[in-house]
Amino acid sequence: MKFIKGLNIVRFPSRWIFFRFDDRLLLISIGALVGSCSGLAALALNRGLIAMFEMLGHYRHLWWAFIMPGIGAALSSLFLEKIIKEGAGHGVPEVLYSVSRYGGLMRFRSSFSRLISSCLTIGSGGSAGPEAPVVMSGAAIGSNIAQLFSLNDRQRVALVGCGTAGAVAAIFNAPIAGLVFTIEVIIGEWSALNIVPIAVASVFGAQVSRLLQGNQIAFTHLQFNIDPGDTIACLGLAVVTALVSILLTRALRLSYRGARHIHLPIWVKAAIGGCLVGGIGFFLPDVLGEGYHSIQAMVEGTFSNGLLFVALLVLAKILATSFTLGWGGSGGIFAPCLVIGSFTGLMYHRFIEMLWPGIAWVNEGCFALLGMAGLISGILQAPLTGMFLIVEITGGYEVILPLILVSAISTTLCHSFEPASFYMKDLVEKGHFLRPRTDARVLADLSVSELVEKDCIIVTKEMKLGDFVKIMQKSHRNFFPVEDENSREFLGLIHLDDIREYLFDPLFYETVFLEQIMDTQVRTVGLDDDLSAILDRMDAGNLFSMPVVANNQFVGMISKATLLDKYRNELIVQTNH
Amino acid sequence: METRLLHIFRNTPIGREVLLQSMYFCKSIGVHPVIYIPEFIKFLMYFEKDVVQIDLDDSYLIAPETASAHAVEIVRSQGLPEPNFIEPKNFTASTLPDIPVNFDFMCCPRTISDLSSKIGLGYIGPRVRRIVHSAKFPVLIVGTIYKPWKSIGVMFGGSANAINAFRLGVRISRLSGLPMNVYTQLGKHSPDYYKDIIQKNDLTWDMEQYVRNWEFFDSGEFSVNLYKVPHDALVVIGAYGHGVIKEMLFGSTMEKVQSILPNNLLIVGPKYQAAM
Repeated sequence: MKFIKGLNIVRFPSRWIFFRFDDRLLLISIGALVGSCSGLAALALNRGLIAMFEMLGHYRHLWWAFIMPGIGAALSSLFLEKIIKEGAGHGVPEVLYSVSRYGGLMRFRSSFSRLISSCLTIGSGGSAGPEAPVVMSGAAIGSNIAQLFSLNDRQRVALVGCGTAGAVAAIFNAPIAGLVFTIEVIIGEWSALNIVPIAVASVFGAQVSRLLQGNQIAFTHLQFNIDPGDTIACLGLAVVTALVSILLTRALRLSYRGARHIHLPIWVKAAIGGCLVGGIGFFLPDVLGEGYHSIQAMVEGTFSNGLLFVALLVLAKILATSFTLGWGGSGGIFAPCLVIGSFTGLMYHRFIEMLWPGIAWVNEGCFALLGMAGLISGILQAPLTGMFLIVEITGGYEVILPLILVSAISTTLCHSFEPASFYMKDLVEKGHFLRPRTDARVLADLSVSELVEKDCIIVTKEMKLGDFVKIMQKSHRNFFPVEDENSREFLGLIHLDDIREYLFDPLFYETVFLEQIMDTQVRTVGLDDDLSAILDRMDAGNLFSMPVVANNQFVGMISKATLLDKYRNELIVQTNH
Repeated sequence: METRLLHIFRNTPIGREVLLQSMYFCKSIGVHPVIYIPEFIKFLMYFEKDVVQIDLDDSYLIAPETASAHAVEIVRSQGLPEPNFIEPKNFTASTLPDIPVNFDFMCCPRTISDLSSKIGLGYIGPRVRRIVHSAKFPVLIVGTIYKPWKSIGVMFGGSANAINAFRLGVRISRLSGLPMNVYTQLGKHSPDYYKDIIQKNDLTWDMEQYVRNWEFFDSGEFSVNLYKVPHDALVVIGAYGHGVIKEMLFGSTMEKVQSILPNNLLIVGPKYQAAM
């Protein structure tokens, strides 16, 4: 009995006296746990990828090696569709969707499924990154821990953020990038309530990474002496990275759409996509896998290929990523963005060197870094993430000035052509991207059934005007729904403004029936209709209220006044957090 | 506000029987049916604090071109108005629709994820259990042959969920006009203990008004005593309890009832809030 009582206490930590004092303490404590768990998940994927590369590395030079990414992608797809039954996707849009629509509720299976599937895809040579899978995994860990401790929606969303931050911090050994990415991309709300636990989770995620694989930065830190001329040249790089970002975004979408029109089993499509990647990789091995070894060479300035070859690599990596992800492989676009970005930076450096050979430009490694920031900022439309990630994974602040310029300009240009980022585009198009405290979010959190006003007096079509006048005197409303007496079917509406001419002439009282004067062309709304669509209809028809009808029966009225009242209450609830 | 029942339709003979039973329930207590004809093999139900993925048995996707017409035909055969069909608006992934959960009842067979050959006494599928655990609505679990019921039987063991089950039984008895019986297996407590619980919950009037017979099983095994429950009764029972351990278990009484009674079951979960 004592054991069960003890379990009950553990299950509901929000009831502890210590946490009742301030629930931020609760979020910080559980956030640390979530950050550590998601950090471990990220490391597990990292180790899995290393093992896969080592295992398959011996066969890469063989002629049949091109089918390896195909087999990996097919196994990954079969695993997700047949074993885990999850439904494919990148991961990050699913996390955004869950945060926007369902207070961060995520399935338990999501906490491990993408780790395994992306390990199969990337480890076999598919062109994708492990970051989106670890983001999904970390977010699902946070969500499920929140469910275990019976936390509310707001706390659950914060823990989803903690999971994301811990995972990103661990995989890049970059705690600030983890925090910034989570707030900028996933949560979209810069409030202390979110930032503090997410920062703590980020620290714990990074710490787990440092404990288990040492405090290493992803790429070697080099000193760059940047002149004003280099900074000016970066403006051109920002334009180029923006264009490449748009090209990558569109290529990915085109590839998705193309694959959707091919009527083959999903694992066959993944296998075809993988084999195409393998084919490209056979001639250009730099496009295979996550591709961090190429970035290392470019940052160090040891990547010796010429301008045209690097331009070819940019296109090849874009194609390989589109075939991998668009055709059913599992993984994210973070790592491909970094690789394409560094190729773009290098390409740009070679180009300006060719144009102005007399100028002493900064080392090409610096442009590779800036290119990475430009691509990340452009694709994600998250400039802060781009800046902090590059600063942390290269371990130096020397490039911060051009970094800010490239990130800011690339984001702005991409936004002009693609108003929503790659992660958010589908959600925005379907109306599922609901940031906290926005009009769409407040309306989405309300439902028609909450707003229905039921104090209407229902009348029948056979009623005489005289009888109606007596009823009308008892009501404070201008609207009277008309129903069929037997079937209770909604027939129309009497609006006092429309029948005023009859009301003041007693001659009509015994001769006019409501059927003759009711409005039968009434625009109605249903219980499941979206409030934003209802408001649009009200605005279009210059209406202040509309009848709610379900199964041809009158339910009540919905009015702008009540909507405004509830809207305000909901907004207060959301802003008081 | 109208009360609504969610039904996941399977366009097979067994699906027909389940829908017939479901529509009989709707007709007897005036509930409007809302039918979902699955287009994909899986869907999600987002409850307040849990998300449940339902991986359907393949037979749910059989003959989609006739599914809607068959469903309407069955609904009309019970004299009910045209049903509403769910068209999913939200998708977690392109092949993973989210089904709304704002219903008053849901009807399903004993298992919806496993092959229909598994449907039988003593087995309630894991997804159905998850729904019962997380939903605010009670779940009507029906047999494989349509059989109208003639009375309501409530299993009352004195717990909070049993109180909810009793309240629901009263509501159904009141709306359908069918007589109601209550069954209690006496363990270490006397009948007065249970009567006291009813009194403390202000249910004495309902007990007198709607309950035809309150049967106390004072001797013998509960499983043996269940023989006294009429074959044509709708059995209302609570599942899962409150507390860490009880929230994980379906409940020993519930397990016995579902293993022994072939009757249609209306199961009240821990999140259900009774309306009289």
